Amino acid sequence: MYDINRAERAVTQQDIKISASKVQVYYGDKHAIKDVDVEILDKTVTAFIGPSGCGKSTFLRCINRMNDTIPIARIEGRILLDGEDVYDRRVDPVQLRAKVGMVFQKPNPFPKSIYDNVAYGPRIHGLSRNKAELDEIVEKSLRGAALWNEVKDRLHEPGTGLSGGQQQRLCIARAVATAPEVLLMDEPCSALDPIATSQVEELIDQLRENFSVVIVTHSMQQAARVSQKTAFFHLGNLVEYGSTDDIFTNPQDSRTESYISGRIG
Amino acid sequence: MTDIPMSSEAQPRSNSLLSQDARTRKRNATEKRFRMYGVIAIGIAMAALVILLTSIVSDGAGAFRQSYLSIPVALDAETLDPNGNRDPAEMSKVLTLSYGKVLDKAVETAVADSGIAIEGLTSSDTSNLISKEASAQLRNHVLANPEQVGQTVDFNVLVNGRVDGYFKGRVSMESAARDANTSPQQLQLADALKEQGELVTRFNWNFITNPDASDQRPEAAGVGVAIIGSAYMMLVVLFLAVPIGVAASIYLEEFAPQNRWTDMIEVNISNLAAVPSIVFGILGLAAFINFVGLPQSAPIVGGLVLTLMTLPTIIISTRAALKSVPPSIRDAALGVGASKMQSIFHHVLPLAMPGILTGTIIGLAQALGETAPLLLIGMVAFVREFPAAPPEGLWDPASALPVQVYNWTQRADPAFIERASGAIIVLLIFLFCMNLLAIFLRRRFERRW
Repeated sequence: MYDINRAERAVTQQDIKISASKVQVYYGDKHAIKDVDVEILDKTVTAFIGPSGCGKSTFLRCINRMNDTIPIARIEGRILLDGEDVYDRRVDPVQLRAKVGMVFQKPNPFPKSIYDNVAYGPRIHGLSRNKAELDEIVEKSLRGAALWNEVKDRLHEPGTGLSGGQQQRLCIARAVATAPEVLLMDEPCSALDPIATSQVEELIDQLRENFSVVIVTHSMQQAARVSQKTAFFHLGNLVEYGSTDDIFTNPQDSRTESYISGRIG
Repeated sequence: MTDIPMSSEAQPRSNSLLSQDARTRKRNATEKRFRMYGVIAIGIAMAALVILLTSIVSDGAGAFRQSYLSIPVALDAETLDPNGNRDPAEMSKVLTLSYGKVLDKAVETAVADSGIAIEGLTSSDTSNLISKEASAQLRNHVLANPEQVGQTVDFNVLVNGRVDGYFKGRVSMESAARDANTSPQQLQLADALKEQGELVTRFNWNFITNPDASDQRPEAAGVGVAIIGSAYMMLVVLFLAVPIGVAASIYLEEFAPQNRWTDMIEVNISNLAAVPSIVFGILGLAAFINFVGLPQSAPIVGGLVLTLMTLPTIIISTRAALKSVPPSIRDAALGVGASKMQSIFHHVLPLAMPGILTGTIIGLAQALGETAPLLLIGMVAFVREFPAAPPEGLWDPASALPVQVYNWTQRADPAFIERASGAIIVLLIFLFCMNLLAIFLRRRFERRW
């Protein structure tokens, strides 16, 4: 259904949303990310690929400061979101995370109703003045996550009762509901079957209209299908970054070539 | 037991699935043996439990039944109200001794009226048929109803502990013959009165509601003050240990930085859980009574000591419950922009609730059955007065159920052994109810993810 040609569509906008320079991450003594410079565009799907343990998830988690929860993690360098350093001392990570939503590898809905799952973010950020507005946000988010038609009659049933693919789309709806500007996805399809995967991929393509989407994936086919830009990480280094088309058809670095042709990984 | 024996030569594998080879047989036999050991272990545990419960119930069931003598008592106005104005304030000057005389007369009259003739029955046998507590009972009744003076009222009088024990099988004619406190004639009289229906044995509410009684009157002793004392202490523990324990564990588990200080605190909390309870009693004596100057025998002190004792249990179980909440839930909450506090209170704590509640109730149950520290802070005292309603009552002297049990087992009269077992039954019922509550709450709050 989705072949490699999909990525050839023109990148519509070229505004830089996130700009990282000289980012270093240490876990204790381990130097996990080395000197990463990357510029992520608005309204674009950017894929991070690379073998396991190459630091792509670590880098993703730096963007919304989820690494703050790991006591031994230490970050150097600058990550600018719309020109503002997210590691500035004045930045409250909670405020940042409302702007930079995140979807995790394993679907992790709250053990609450579907409605409450989606409404949680808007509630704690005060995005709605009344119940009607909240209902509207929930419906819009669920529609945005292509889940509305499946769950509209059972909004008050527990979110944990959905199937894996539905749960992941619920998590996407939950992330979308807080009206973020960037959506980070950490291997969102790795726990899903092929049908659910294709649904989520289709969704990611739609989300591109409103957000800058950054997706970490193990599947090169998936990166080719959904992304416009691709970054290849290897052993903590950003080896190559460019348009998905170039990376997959005309890689500049020998390591990239080896990886996408399946020789390392 | 599950070692894989290494044989030097590989055994040939049997080709048929229908016959077991030697190795499979051996493994199956090991498994069967292990299962048998398990069944034996459970059997031993169950047998111990059954023996414990039967011995307690057979000893203690008697405490819940009590014999009463129902006789008409002529309340002689001249003895009980010498001034004749029925004023309870003035009547209270009349001592229990005078009421005893009134009762003696009533019993003698009742026995004479019943027409029972027993050879060798002395007048002291007759008057000792009733409890020494009976005169105090009658006095309380008359002071509460002064208008009845001068009339003849039907009154249920407690029977002497030996006679009561005779109907419960504790005292026999043979033992009575050797006993200075009773005689076979007295027991025969009791038998005859029972046949006439004047002496009845019925359920003993007074055991639940009465305070302790002195050595000579086991028939009047009850666990009322002990139940209230224990309840007050549980209140103190609940209101102090639960918030402090839960707050401490949330901080340690979720907020505290990992450094030498928190490691040290962690180790010491685990150590505290293993400190013998009597040490907490000495601490309570030194800190709360001698230093702070709180009263002895008071539930507030007992509650504080038990709080200290329960805290480690609550902290350890709460931390375990918090730890068992999957980290993905925290990530999810942080990912949508919840603050740390919001993620804990909205998501982690509700999921940890069943574990926290179970740990708390187990801690409370442990505190309810604790005796040693209470002995040291004076709760072993003989308390007849009911403490006032809380909060003032927390400072009044009271007893506690396990201490009451200890107290009664120290007394000479075998009737107190029965009372002690009865108090154990009451204590076990409370513990059983608490565990039931723990199971219920666990089911109620349990959520799947």
